[in-house]
Amino acid sequence: MTTLLEFAALGLGLGAVYIGLSTGLLLVYRATGIINFAQGAMAMWGAYVFARVQDDGELVLPIGTIWFPEPPGTAVALLVGLANAVVLGVLAHYLVFRPVRRAPALAQVVVSIGLMVALQALAVIRFGPNSIQVESILPTGSIELLGATVPLRELTMVAIMIVLAAAVWAYLRLTASGRATRAASENERGAVLMGFSPDRLALIALVLASLVSTMAVVMGGSLTGLSPANYTLLVVPALAVVLIARLESIGLAVAGAIGLGIIQSELSLLATRSWWPQWAQSGLDQVLPFLLVMIILFAFGKRLPARGSLQSVRLPDVVVPRFVPWKAALLVGIAVACLVFFTPSYRFGLTTSLIIAILALSYVVITGYLGQISLAQSAFAGAAGFALSKLTTAWDVPFPIAIVVCATLAAALGMLVALPAFRIRGVQLAIVTIAAALAIERFVFDNYSLTPPTGNPIGRPTLFGIDFAIREGRNLARLEFSLMVLAILVLMVLLFVRIARGDTGRAFLAVRANERAAASVGIDVRRTKLIGFGLSAFIAGVAGCLIGYSRGELSAESFSVVVGLSVLAVAYLGGITSFGGALVAGVLGPLGLVYTALHSVFDMGNAYPLITGIGLILTAVLNPSGIAGETRHQVEWVKRKLRSGRAAPPAAADAAPAPVPAEKPRETTGV
Amino acid sequence: MPDTTAPDGGPLLVVDGLTAGYNGVPAIRDLSFTVGAGEVVSVLGPNGAGKTTSLLAIVGLVPPMAGSVTALGRPVNVRRPHELARRGVLLVPDDRGIFPGLTVRDHFRLAQRRQDPAREAAVLDRFPALKGLLGRRVGLCSGGEQQMLTIAKALLGRPRVLMIDEMSLGLAPKIVQEMLPSIRALAREEGIGVVLVEQHIELALSVSDRGVILNHGRVVLEGAARDLLAHRDQVEAAYFGADEFAGSDVPGGAADGGAGGSGATSAAVVAS
Repeated sequence: MTTLLEFAALGLGLGAVYIGLSTGLLLVYRATGIINFAQGAMAMWGAYVFARVQDDGELVLPIGTIWFPEPPGTAVALLVGLANAVVLGVLAHYLVFRPVRRAPALAQVVVSIGLMVALQALAVIRFGPNSIQVESILPTGSIELLGATVPLRELTMVAIMIVLAAAVWAYLRLTASGRATRAASENERGAVLMGFSPDRLALIALVLASLVSTMAVVMGGSLTGLSPANYTLLVVPALAVVLIARLESIGLAVAGAIGLGIIQSELSLLATRSWWPQWAQSGLDQVLPFLLVMIILFAFGKRLPARGSLQSVRLPDVVVPRFVPWKAALLVGIAVACLVFFTPSYRFGLTTSLIIAILALSYVVITGYLGQISLAQSAFAGAAGFALSKLTTAWDVPFPIAIVVCATLAAALGMLVALPAFRIRGVQLAIVTIAAALAIERFVFDNYSLTPPTGNPIGRPTLFGIDFAIREGRNLARLEFSLMVLAILVLMVLLFVRIARGDTGRAFLAVRANERAAASVGIDVRRTKLIGFGLSAFIAGVAGCLIGYSRGELSAESFSVVVGLSVLAVAYLGGITSFGGALVAGVLGPLGLVYTALHSVFDMGNAYPLITGIGLILTAVLNPSGIAGETRHQVEWVKRKLRSGRAAPPAAADAAPAPVPAEKPRETTGV
Repeated sequence: MPDTTAPDGGPLLVVDGLTAGYNGVPAIRDLSFTVGAGEVVSVLGPNGAGKTTSLLAIVGLVPPMAGSVTALGRPVNVRRPHELARRGVLLVPDDRGIFPGLTVRDHFRLAQRRQDPAREAAVLDRFPALKGLLGRRVGLCSGGEQQMLTIAKALLGRPRVLMIDEMSLGLAPKIVQEMLPSIRALAREEGIGVVLVEQHIELALSVSDRGVILNHGRVVLEGAARDLLAHRDQVEAAYFGADEFAGSDVPGGAADGGAGGSGATSAAVVAS
């Protein structure tokens, strides 16, 4: 009993951090309608700044450093850290969130993920990838409570956070701005017409949220240490808490945060007992939030408040893809030539690009075409990859069949994730899928009883006596493997074009535009979503298998949530609505061709994710149809100019009708 | 006819040559009218004539393509629509601009920059039905109660110009018949310039000083309310003369509704 109580007290520390993050998330959501996936990353930055100022008087800015003559003491350090939080909140408002306030949910999710990726990358560059210790600003010591020794630190921490959450509550309830924020979250136009500026309210909310969350991470960091990854991803359980609070109630958020913290702490205690199954020890802290999210969304999904926005903006353009044989042949020819003549390191880069293009294609299907925001594609890929390891080593399933079996398995997993998508959509689906991805990553990929740390080797792919493995002896990037990947990419694109042009593709687009309208013309929305999730997970699974083959053995890092998010970043950057965008994404993707080229010229170190994160924000803000879409617009524009130039002298056109060529169809391949 | 000018001599609201629309396609063209203190102006017209767009463009929620709006002697900054409300030019939109999750009392607080109990009591006297509902969430109030709240909160903002979009929408005719005259009285007592957008021609004109009839995004008829009421044939022609006005020279044809229309170059004015 006393042990239970002591672990509950330990859980309070985590609960306090959840209070900070979830209060911030909730406030930003009320003021902007945006779920800020970067809430944890933003808070982490201020906490890092605090820790370094306190530790050695070094004020680290995104670029450059200011040294204090001597470490200025905890109070000043805390002020500096919180000042950073304010600045970050202001910048995030003006540069990131304000431009997309009226954009579709997808663009909003994407910018906040871009901000999260960029901040995390920046933290790695500026503060290093490893965990640092943070000196506690809280009292040490402990008190006796019901026979248990309860540390004072956690108690103080949770008390401070409750006070701060109460302050946020008071802001929303008792001040004019807070009341207007609540009003605007229900009817933004109504609030404008009563003389309130939603932009101003959003700015206040972002700054307050940043302050509260940073305070929580500053204190939490002293318990757990700070690393670029840990608090960034702590936003996921905080999202579960926000859903418990039904995106509305600060009181429920505080209760949920403390409850979740305590339960997680108790679970970690239970997991050490002898009767607890060994396979279920890893990643419990992430499985619980996921289960919570699922249950809440299933039970209350319909009653969660949606924001009444001023006006909705069109979704990114979709051009129905067309298979143009000569273009395809040209592209494949170029790719083959490159693969043949490239040096091994470039060949490996291009091969990685081809694989990422397949993974990005799965985003095109699910997000670009079906309009569902799935952040779990890397988990689908990973599931297929680990299954491949088992299948090829334990059961000797031959090469092409093994890929099909594993991708089908991923498709089944995707259809499972589609179940919540029956009831929810938009940003809520993004929350479910990122929670699912994190749960799968921690519970399955990082679980040593399922995926032994000694390695998950994958059998060599051979077909008709030809060995398609990536390595042989000292050759680390065999041409046979690259050609096999290219062939599979072509197959996947053909599959995509075939489906996107048919009835199913049209049903996807109808569901994307308006589910009710789609249902009213006889489209089975559930079936369509099921097909979409299955198909995209299948494609992701194929990519996962190829990632596995390209590494020779599997590691969980290849399929982490962060990898999935960075592929989403390049997929959006390339153009989320066309397979051309997926190809661009492949070229840009992590470890892909552009990466290899840049890396050989100068050492970028960890700058690449930072660049993709910023690129993602810029794309979402400036040009939602991505690079491929923009190129297509430019090509169309040039074509139009050429046509109108040709038709300029009307008399001549009348006189000589024959030489005018038939107009090209408007459809393009999207490349 | 009551005095149509502001205390300083000019009208409260001057709309001059306003053209506005969506995605580059104008829904109203070259709209001009003025509203003086204490004056009630009805903006009438069939569906798609551009009535709602006119109001939204006046406050800047639909960005204008040409023309200008001057309110209380100063030009309207369309990039900051919330500032206009603070200056006392209030628009009650067709969704009534209310917040279902907030209580009636919350609405009253939001409507007043500075809390003014005397004013609040005076407004409550005008709408006694709201007295018992202060703690109730507005989403739970009836349509009539919501409409009363809408007008009450607008009055609490001490408007100089009040524009009401389709007050009769979703309300029983009896309630509309009760509320319109009270708005007429308010305008006269407090010197508010009122713009009413209505479907119900006779009811609106009966409480108005002037009427402006829109069709296909243009003013096709305007005049004193009693003249318009007296010349029903001209009003009907303005309403139903759609075919005549939807010029064949408009690309895309008349099927687009409010987007086109070019035949009528200048508005007919009813002789008074």
